[in-house]
Amino acid sequence: MKKILLVEDEKALSLLYEEELEREGYEVVVVYDAESALEKIRKEKFDLIITDIRMPGRDGIELIASVMGLRKDIPIIINTAYQSYKDDFMTWAADAYVIKSSSLDELKNKIKELLFEKETE
Amino acid sequence: MIQRFSLQPASFTPESSKEMVLLSIIAQSFFQPFSLDDNLLVILTALTSGTGVGFNRALLFLKEGERLQARMWLGPRSPEEAQAIWSILSTPGIGYAEIVEHNRELVDRTMEALQPKLRFLNYNLDVPDLKIPALAARNQEIVLVKEAKKERLVDDNFREFVDVDSFLCLPLVAKNELMGEIVVDNGITRAPITAKDIDLASLCGLLAGNYIYTTHLYKKVLEMEKMAALGEMAAFVSHQLRNPIVAIGGFTRQLLNRPCDLEKCQRNLSIIQQETKHLEEIIFKISHFLKISIKELKPIDVRPIILSLLERPDLKAKAESKRLVLRLNDQLPKILCDQVYFEEAMVNLLDNALDVTPAGGHVYLRVFPANNKWLRLTIKDSGPGLDEKTQEKIFTPFFTTKEKGIGLGLLFVKRVMEMCAGKIEVQSKPGHGTLFKLYFKAIEEKGAS
Repeated sequence: MKKILLVEDEKALSLLYEEELEREGYEVVVVYDAESALEKIRKEKFDLIITDIRMPGRDGIELIASVMGLRKDIPIIINTAYQSYKDDFMTWAADAYVIKSSSLDELKNKIKELLFEKETE
Repeated sequence: MIQRFSLQPASFTPESSKEMVLLSIIAQSFFQPFSLDDNLLVILTALTSGTGVGFNRALLFLKEGERLQARMWLGPRSPEEAQAIWSILSTPGIGYAEIVEHNRELVDRTMEALQPKLRFLNYNLDVPDLKIPALAARNQEIVLVKEAKKERLVDDNFREFVDVDSFLCLPLVAKNELMGEIVVDNGITRAPITAKDIDLASLCGLLAGNYIYTTHLYKKVLEMEKMAALGEMAAFVSHQLRNPIVAIGGFTRQLLNRPCDLEKCQRNLSIIQQETKHLEEIIFKISHFLKISIKELKPIDVRPIILSLLERPDLKAKAESKRLVLRLNDQLPKILCDQVYFEEAMVNLLDNALDVTPAGGHVYLRVFPANNKWLRLTIKDSGPGLDEKTQEKIFTPFFTTKEKGIGLGLLFVKRVMEMCAGKIEVQSKPGHGTLFKLYFKAIEEKGAS
């Protein structure tokens, strides 16, 4: 089973993503901030990371930079309400940029795409 | 031996050279408030004052779109008027400020009658057979016209308006772009325009062009700042709204697309209800924030306000497991503010302090006179403190460290402080809590109350 790390500070949203992604057949680990995300990444193996950008404490962009330093091979999806960060070149380090929507289809498709790419590498 | 001189030459004497007077007028114009009209008036004054370049009259055109429009005319209209004005202006000891002030009055007084005539002095710069004075502007060259009555290149309207034989056209240019034009003449004294006059006038033209240019630039910058703030706000508001909307939409989809047991249905519905409530709060707070306006500052006594604040149930509940330590002088000067806004600002600060202070921690609130001019109010928490990067951002709209925060609280406090002519400072270090210092202007007590 593929394991996904979800970094999302909004409790209701993290619950929604967790349930929806579990239904798709993934194992989902939820953390609420960048610090706990890094802690998890150091200890466990993940196939994919989904993160928001604006969060209390360190933001998602800092998280991406740190993850790149730790583990270059994990694909990262930015899932955020902000369109504007797409122009921030730091977000280009992520493998995909998804704008939050009540339909999770785009996010689910991106996950499939990235996991498939990784497998065929 | 020590000799002392005043910083600015206070008055002009007939012995001062024209260059000196001109330089002094222009230099002093920098002390004027940043208003285009004022600065242009200074230039026109420099061109026309007897001790300046010394033209009799000056007419100012501004470029508006692709047209050149007459805007301001400075100078006497008849020899009698000239006599009256020049005798005032040549009074010994009269200074630059008086001359500009006098000219401002003159312009104000004469503009009403002149306005209809000036309106006709309006030239489309795009037409092929453009005439003087507009032609000089378009070609960006200084033009001296003599025997204007015989010169076919001079516009008839203009000739009739100035009614003079000889005049000088000074295009106003900045960064190769046309800003306007000044036309000067000696319509009263009929004195010839000399090469030296032209040199000095061209200097004035250069300055006037740049004044207009910087004013345009300044306006543009203000506009851009406003747009940037608006853009940032729109981005944040849409983010704040999007999160609850995605949650509401997502859980609604679950309810519609999949059968669920009673428990899960109930849970989804209650999440939807909570998120809707959150949306309402966001909208309420934003509209409340946008409405801040203190119409009248009144003397207020902070002591009873603060004492009653500490009885508020919401703050009391938050302070339950923490210690709120109050130090309030018995004798405090009143301050000028608005009671409701002051109260709300205090609630914001106490709320923040209590939020970050862990159970068992202290929050200190102290109010005391800093000196006889200021009342000082400090709030110190025992929270985690703020690093430098965070400190820089705390007054930025929509910056928050709280999960459900909107990021308008401290900005609200800052705006209230500004409106009450106060100051707010922050001191913080990670691991050492945060200290907010507020300074309010103290009102001097008139007699014992």
